[in-house]
Amino acid sequence: MSGYFLGIDIGSLSCDAVIIDKSGRILSASVVPTGARNREAIERATGEALRDAGLARDRLAAMISTGYGRDRVEDRTAAVTEITCHARGIFELLPDVRLLIDIGGQDSKAVALGPNGKVVDFAMNDKCAAGTGRFLEAMARALGVDITELAEMDHGATRELTLSSMCTVFAESEVVSLIAQGMPENEIVRGLNRSIASRTVSLAKRVCTDPTRSVVAMSGGVAHNKGVVRALSDFLTTPVNVPPMPDTVGAYGAALIARDRAV
Amino acid sequence: MIKSYFDNMVDGIEKSLASGDASARKRYALSVARLGSRLYSGKDKVAWCGVTAPFDLLNSMGVTSCFVEFIGAMLAGMGAADPLLGKIEDAGYGPDTCAYHRAVIAAAKDGMMPVPDFLVATSAPCTGGLAVMETLAREFSRDLFVLHIPQTDDPDSVSYLADQLRELTDFVAFHTKVPFDMEKLRAASVLTNQARKLMVDAYRLAAAKPSPVAGKTLNNFGVVVALLLGTQEAVDVCRSFRDEFARKVERGEAGVPGEKLRLLWIQNRIQFKNDITDYLENEWGAVVVADELNAVTFGPIDPDDPFPGIARRSISIPLNGSVDRRLENLLSMCRDYSIDGAINPCHWGCRQGTGASAMIATGLKAAGVPVLNMDVDCIDRRNFAPGQIKTRLEAFIEMLSENKGV
Repeated sequence: MSGYFLGIDIGSLSCDAVIIDKSGRILSASVVPTGARNREAIERATGEALRDAGLARDRLAAMISTGYGRDRVEDRTAAVTEITCHARGIFELLPDVRLLIDIGGQDSKAVALGPNGKVVDFAMNDKCAAGTGRFLEAMARALGVDITELAEMDHGATRELTLSSMCTVFAESEVVSLIAQGMPENEIVRGLNRSIASRTVSLAKRVCTDPTRSVVAMSGGVAHNKGVVRALSDFLTTPVNVPPMPDTVGAYGAALIARDRAV
Repeated sequence: MIKSYFDNMVDGIEKSLASGDASARKRYALSVARLGSRLYSGKDKVAWCGVTAPFDLLNSMGVTSCFVEFIGAMLAGMGAADPLLGKIEDAGYGPDTCAYHRAVIAAAKDGMMPVPDFLVATSAPCTGGLAVMETLAREFSRDLFVLHIPQTDDPDSVSYLADQLRELTDFVAFHTKVPFDMEKLRAASVLTNQARKLMVDAYRLAAAKPSPVAGKTLNNFGVVVALLLGTQEAVDVCRSFRDEFARKVERGEAGVPGEKLRLLWIQNRIQFKNDITDYLENEWGAVVVADELNAVTFGPIDPDDPFPGIARRSISIPLNGSVDRRLENLLSMCRDYSIDGAINPCHWGCRQGTGASAMIATGLKAAGVPVLNMDVDCIDRRNFAPGQIKTRLEAFIEMLSENKGV
């Protein structure tokens, strides 16, 4: 086996690419906005990853695509779902994890892993994208802040505020209304985080009845939001581990699968 | 529109059979199309019914009968359900209710269902269906007979339902002006028993490894063939399947070449055109070899005393009674068919079916059978998100493949 392996995760919000060598070492990782044109995002993410790794495209031995746009990657070796890829990625990074929560742009997932890192069960959000990255994006807009600012905005908040609606449109109106009533922003953000967490925890409990007896981790772009991670940890009553660059766990898993299959 | 649909279907299938396509599925489709054609012919005595009605008894009394959900499924299959669902929602029926039933009410209001001579409702499998029958009886201004199906299979319950069935014969005779003939019911019961035995044999053969069935071979079979019970047609159809499967099993011929994973489908299939089974088979070698509703849960009927046996059959259907009993049947199917995983399409609006989904998933998982609960609507394709469904199915199959090492 020679060459390098690319994993590319085309989500609704971001397109992530990771290149590894045959030992599984990450050479480069890139995250670009997906935007409206998937192919451009795929090209850009791949190009940046190759450039940062100092590699020409013909050095790639195999490429696995994942994410909702996985079938749009024309030169893929194979497409694999994000459930399998996130599981593979987290197993490499944190091998003791038995419950993985991944909140992406439009999907939330809870994945139960066996000791060998294989998926033993999973659950996903159903018809609604409430509590995902898109939801947070809309709430940041309602609060008039950048989405990255939400991560620490709940500091100092103590009230048990909860949003009565998880519908993104209604919740956005509710946030606007709370601001108008003079509710402090940190309390609103805490309420948002707790709303997301309570929804996600019910997914987690479908695949893992007692998360306190499992090592729990979180991947996906929303894992950058420490407030959400804290809220999840509170609801689960157990620590939630977040690996470095949680948004690239899926792409990393895809690269590992490309490597594994080439062996 | 529907009459010509059935008539064209009969013509098309007869031509196909004449040109040499003698598959059991084709033979079955012809019988169903003929039944549909008779329903809409304007010549037969017709009864609209609940799912667990005694169709052999009605057939023996010369009544062409059908459960109303069949119409909802057929409209969805034709691609004609969407405008009707929209119309009925405009009329105030909530979009969160069962789309089978919404489609039926809409079809009745739109004059797409023949006015029956009478209706026979059943309190199982769901109260929603019972309410639909009451609505239809008012819509058509026809008499409704309600069969109260007990939930437990014990002597008192069987006797209670058997008595109602005897009363039903008086009701039917009153409306058809043809007296009940015990000899005809005896003959119908003999035919039901023959069909039942052939079904048992066919299902046993379907459980072979590799299975002689493809995902579509027995699609909707168990529920729909009930409409033909008590007739030679049912016997012939069941024999076609039994013989076809026997030939294939003897030759070691798989319904899907390269079968890798064997799946159990819980409750109803998705009735509008979709590529789920093709996708599973072509991409993954994953075959739906068993359906929950393709199970013989009842024993033979005593032709000399048929009412208790018919009653026991209605009580025994998997969707009647406790979830424990339903789960027991599913677990038994998982063992018999060597199932690798189960798919439960939780039909939007079906409180009766989805209410049990968590208990069923827990029970099957405890027995080592992974379950995918899919949030779908089996009739209303406006509630179908192909991308989301594909990801869930694909992830499920990846998980099964990985864990089975195939």
